[in-house]
Amino acid sequence: MEPTDEVLCQRVAARDEAAFDLLVGRYQERAYRLAWSILRNAEDARDLSQEAFIRLYQSAGSFGGRAKFSTWFYRILVNVCLDDRRKSRGWRLWVRDEPDPDTGESLLDRQPAPAADPVDALGRERTVSKLWAAVDRLTPQQRAAVILQVQEELPTAEIAAVLKCSEATVRVHLHRALQTLRKTMETS
Amino acid sequence: MADHPETELVPYVRGELAPAERERVTRHLDECPDCRQDAEGLRELLMKLSRSVPVEPRVNWGSYRAELRDKLAARRARRRAWWSQPLPVALAASFAGVLLVFGVWGGWRSPGGVEPVTTEEATIGRRLGLLQEYSVVERLDLLEEFDVIRNLDQVAETQEG
Repeated sequence: MEPTDEVLCQRVAARDEAAFDLLVGRYQERAYRLAWSILRNAEDARDLSQEAFIRLYQSAGSFGGRAKFSTWFYRILVNVCLDDRRKSRGWRLWVRDEPDPDTGESLLDRQPAPAADPVDALGRERTVSKLWAAVDRLTPQQRAAVILQVQEELPTAEIAAVLKCSEATVRVHLHRALQTLRKTMETS
Repeated sequence: MADHPETELVPYVRGELAPAERERVTRHLDECPDCRQDAEGLRELLMKLSRSVPVEPRVNWGSYRAELRDKLAARRARRRAWWSQPLPVALAASFAGVLLVFGVWGGWRSPGGVEPVTTEEATIGRRLGLLQEYSVVERLDLLEEFDVIRNLDQVAETQEG
């Protein structure tokens, strides 16, 4: 039977390198995806998700096991990303149409497959692009809350644990974020 | 009508509210068309977002893992190098010196009626207390302490005599 994330984390605290490799393998895609969603830059997402794993290694001993390992690790990762944005003050980004380094596909090309009607599809693609451009202009906390909800599908309580705030605060973040997005879509 | 439950609408449409809270919001929505429209708008927007999450650029996971290993090794090497720098050793030596001074000072203030001891014996005798502070001793890197440790049995006899 495979060890749980929590058991692996305890082994990492005892400097079990194999346990650390296993944890990285389990979380590398999620970590990179979440970092990229917040940062919208592949290189930064790579660096900062790796930084989060290094901090996991260094502080594994402080994981008390009271929360889920994923919540604890996401907290490290989101803090690393938000701290980086605060330092660079570059969180007000237009969505960058960053091409995939391997295929050269644009951000728009990587959207889910369009419907059959090309006119409808083009309209939908533009709407989606505008919507996510608006997400990129949210405050860091609001953006993190939205991404954790719609992409990682975390419940409000877990988002609160990741962002280290109360559930009430998360509800306010989400309410304001979604109202902003709705206004943006209505005016455009 | 009660206050509009604006911040409860998102957890409401996601089915996250506790039963009592859910019932309260449902009752409000039954009576408030504005909030009902809001809730519907939020539901649609959340669905649109969930269905259109942008896909991240691809990664070569082999090179990602190799980079991570290198960064972790470099971080560990930096932490070890920090401890072997002259400054932490000098700080530990200074701390030991301060303890020594207080130990000698305490020896001069011994009560009357006790046979006077030489300065050297007092110094060495006071260092015995220092040896009980293992956490300090393990960090000392002063060669003169080895003389004390080597002659501990003689020092002890002197004090008893």
